[in-house]
Amino acid sequence: MSAVPHEVTLARPFQLGAGAQRALIRIATGVVLLVAWELLVRYFAPPFVARPVTVARALPHVLANHLPPGTPTFWGAAGATVTAAFEGLAIGLLAGVLVGLTMGRLRTADRLLRFYVSAFFAMPIIALVPVMTLWFGYTGTVRLAIVSLGAFLPVCLNVYDGTRSLPAHYVEVARSYHAHWWNVWFGIALPASLPYLLAGFRLAVGRVLVAAVIAEYIVSLKGLGYFILYDGRTFHQPEMMVAVLFLALLGVVVNAAADVATRRLLPWYRRSE
Amino acid sequence: MNARIKIDGVAKQFGDLSVFHDIDLEIGEREIVSIVGPSGCGKTTLLRCIDGLVEPSAGEIRIDGAKVVGPPKGVAVVFQHFGLFPWKTVYENVAYGLRLGGASKEQIRESVPRHIELVGLRGFEKAYPYQLSGGMQQRTGLARALATDPHVLLMDEPFASIDAQTREILQFELLRIWDSRPMSMVFVTHSIEEAVLMGDRVVVLRGRPSSVHEVIETGLPRPRTRDVLSSPRFNEVREHVWSRLMHEAEQAERELQEVR
Repeated sequence: MSAVPHEVTLARPFQLGAGAQRALIRIATGVVLLVAWELLVRYFAPPFVARPVTVARALPHVLANHLPPGTPTFWGAAGATVTAAFEGLAIGLLAGVLVGLTMGRLRTADRLLRFYVSAFFAMPIIALVPVMTLWFGYTGTVRLAIVSLGAFLPVCLNVYDGTRSLPAHYVEVARSYHAHWWNVWFGIALPASLPYLLAGFRLAVGRVLVAAVIAEYIVSLKGLGYFILYDGRTFHQPEMMVAVLFLALLGVVVNAAADVATRRLLPWYRRSE
Repeated sequence: MNARIKIDGVAKQFGDLSVFHDIDLEIGEREIVSIVGPSGCGKTTLLRCIDGLVEPSAGEIRIDGAKVVGPPKGVAVVFQHFGLFPWKTVYENVAYGLRLGGASKEQIRESVPRHIELVGLRGFEKAYPYQLSGGMQQRTGLARALATDPHVLLMDEPFASIDAQTREILQFELLRIWDSRPMSMVFVTHSIEEAVLMGDRVVVLRGRPSSVHEVIETGLPRPRTRDVLSSPRFNEVREHVWSRLMHEAEQAERELQEVR
């Protein structure tokens, strides 16, 4: 839950050689997996099951939105899912930081809220989707709500942890220089909790994508989840796999962006404290 | 002597534990008063009371006639643990007090580099605390305190966690800075030599709960240079304070033996 990265950059003594070797092994593993997938499906599965060659063949027309009329378009779906994911991340991040800070700094807020935030964090929030369809109807609001909640919980709990572990002497120094409470919250507690916040953000990214796709499955919303569901049920498995791979790529890209953000925002965070 | 700080019958208790009581002390406008005592005697707590970070259980402290109820304006603290913010550069750490005090951009641009220069950290403006040695971190802490242009400087064992050679360098640099802009300074330390070297007077805290056992005028000339360390007067005062505290230390040791 509070898996804080302890080192931002690792010194690698044999950087070039070891790096190239690692990349080679990674590529080799990928090739072996693709070949195994291709052979297994080609010889042992029914012809409509996707395999690398058919996925590659589907790629151009899926990416060019050349799909039969009446079927969801890929970029429309991807746009809807990515937009919802980012909106949810933004809402969850803002709310998570505010509530996490409040719980971390005010004992009353801690007592009132932490039990419930922890309980929600522990439960699969996807279970709330059917309830939410009753509240919000079969609309994008359900997806936005579930995605925001999915982002909010890990951010909130991590900021809380970070604020709770704030060394008391930072606050003393701030007070000694006449800091108001908001100076302590946003000028001291928040930056000191940034390593925790970023760890929470990584968790949030994963949860947001899962929540968006599953909400789309259940609510039948335009989005990658529904794209996958529709193509899967209409025997367009190669087209479906394109969307699956796109989601995987999205996760990798956002995580890489979080790595860059960590390095940029935390140049001071080198040692475990 | 014009008293800047007046400590009047101050006591502090934490629950049932009485830390010190009946502290009466006056500190002049251009005076350095060292407070020395065994560890746990409450000298740091007394300093926190002067800065209004801790409320005394009895008595009152006045600075320039105003009763201390919270951190007063014009008072700055240099902490034993440096108290630098690890996410701020040297420049931003030094600017911290000024920014909180609502200083203008021009003031900050003028004052921060001047104070970084004053403590000998030019070239390290963009360094983060983890990149600095302990001595350099405390130089930053000192610059941050001085940048707010205080008329009272409270030093809380500032050089206790710094190696011996660097400590001596910093002691004389602090004295040099003080000579160029004298102010009230309360210097808490557990080092007798340091207390005598820095102070116009040395206050010895003793007992449990502790109280002012003796106030010694060092009578050493200013500006103080390294020659002071080898002067007969320095040795005399040091030995005097030493004998006062040794008695206490032996007693504490005996009590500890009995407890065991």
